[in-house]
Amino acid sequence: MAMEYRRVAVFGGVYSNAHALAATLDDARARDVDAVFCLGDAGGFGPHPDRAVALLRDRRVTMVQGNYDAAVAGGARDCGCGYTDARDNHFARLSYAYTLGHTSTEHRRWLGALPPSLRIRLGSSRALLCHGSPRAVSEFLWESTTPDGMLRAMLDEAGADVLLCTHSGIKWHRALPDGRRAVNVGVIGRPENDGRTHVWYTVLTAAGDDLDVEFVPVAYDHEALAREMAAEGLPVEFAETVRTGWWTTCLEVLPAKERARGRF
Amino acid sequence: MTATVPLRRLSAVWIQVTGTWCNLQCTHCLNASGPVDPWLKPMDAAEVEGHVDEAARLGAREVYFTGGEPFLHPQILDLLAHALARLPATVLTNGTLITEGVADRLAGLAAATRYSLEVRVSLDDPDREANDRVRGRGAFDRALAAIARLHRRGLPAILTATDLGTPGGGLYDRLRGLLLEAGVARPRVKLLPLFPVGRTANGGPPLAPEDLEGADLGRLQCADSRTVTADGIYACPILAGLPGARLDALRLSDAHAPVPLAHAACRVCVETGASCRNG
Repeated sequence: MAMEYRRVAVFGGVYSNAHALAATLDDARARDVDAVFCLGDAGGFGPHPDRAVALLRDRRVTMVQGNYDAAVAGGARDCGCGYTDARDNHFARLSYAYTLGHTSTEHRRWLGALPPSLRIRLGSSRALLCHGSPRAVSEFLWESTTPDGMLRAMLDEAGADVLLCTHSGIKWHRALPDGRRAVNVGVIGRPENDGRTHVWYTVLTAAGDDLDVEFVPVAYDHEALAREMAAEGLPVEFAETVRTGWWTTCLEVLPAKERARGRF
Repeated sequence: MTATVPLRRLSAVWIQVTGTWCNLQCTHCLNASGPVDPWLKPMDAAEVEGHVDEAARLGAREVYFTGGEPFLHPQILDLLAHALARLPATVLTNGTLITEGVADRLAGLAAATRYSLEVRVSLDDPDREANDRVRGRGAFDRALAAIARLHRRGLPAILTATDLGTPGGGLYDRLRGLLLEAGVARPRVKLLPLFPVGRTANGGPPLAPEDLEGADLGRLQCADSRTVTADGIYACPILAGLPGARLDALRLSDAHAPVPLAHAACRVCVETGASCRNG
């Protein structure tokens, strides 16, 4: 039987950003949520991956396993994002090698035991929580490449009224004419390629048969994060993203619409 | 015994909208397209719309318009508009017909839909002479001009190159550099392997069962896509129109039978893990 909630906070993609994670958890607590969910990818991109995992565990965040979590837990060859672009692969390899090398055995075990998906009730709505899509952990659900027909098919297969996902790094929300909906809850690990330094998470509130979806911006000490990234020898391109809000790497996967909104 | 690949789900639908009718005649063309008497005919607009509607209804993720050269089709812009009202669409072009006016229309289509319009412009070598030896005189300049035109209108095209094994390697970085030099601030490059079909058919052997040991057949294009043409439905765009490759179905909803990895070109997909899709 799925647990029932009135109001929840949901985010994805921590990417070792313990600063943003702490700020997000404080913000969510102030909003009187019943529970906090993370849709996966504790590590990657940022410095000191153990700090974010420790915080997720200490603060009792309920977590779904992302592709990065599975890769780090299993010591896989790469992060499983499936990049084919040579430049993206170069940066993805650096990020993955660092994260794998700096995550403790105990934390890797914890990441390896996370479930691939969760089902909860939000009021009367049946919600499916996953990382990429209900079909594949590494499937990107972008707003501009998720047609209504495919969304309907996914919700039918999943037996859900609401789909909550992350993985792509940019939030969006769509309600279908039949009332079912999909929410990409965004990520708190890096800004969303809009030239602003804050990150986003999502608060969902059951209102009768309906569901209120609110995207919440979170400011955090991004300069401190950028300094730590530099001190750890992570690529300057990563710190540039943190400081400017523009993505500089892993751009290949962006569809035309989302790519056109960024600088690079 | 030939291995077969079951259809996991219908995700990508390819539309051979102009058949093998093209204004170029590239030496490596995988379906031997050209300007004279195309062996695979262009499709009727109403037929294309019917397939697109069915693809959307079946829950497909996206459609690809290919050929030949799609911009030779008199209704291509209307067909793209029809598709983009329903699902994401990609058009694969040599760029030579993307005039200022066509670029304006494409930018308008892209702005009017919630879904992404992807324009893939073929250019095979960052060296003008080397490119035009393969693709024909003037092809380099016109393709690059098309990408720049689209870029100026906020449409980031994808430069798509067939990796012909140019000496020196580094094709990806050189193409990316070419785009940046041309003022394209959001350079996008996709590389494809050379397939032994069309003008480069080499009569190589099909896959044997032992070639497939450890292969993840679920990642192959034929596991989640189908291709519609004027003469029927095929497993993938590479096999479209080839003898013996046509599926026994008239509609996408009936084209779900497993497909045999019977052609020499299937070896390239299995061995390189390549995908004709954007990602």
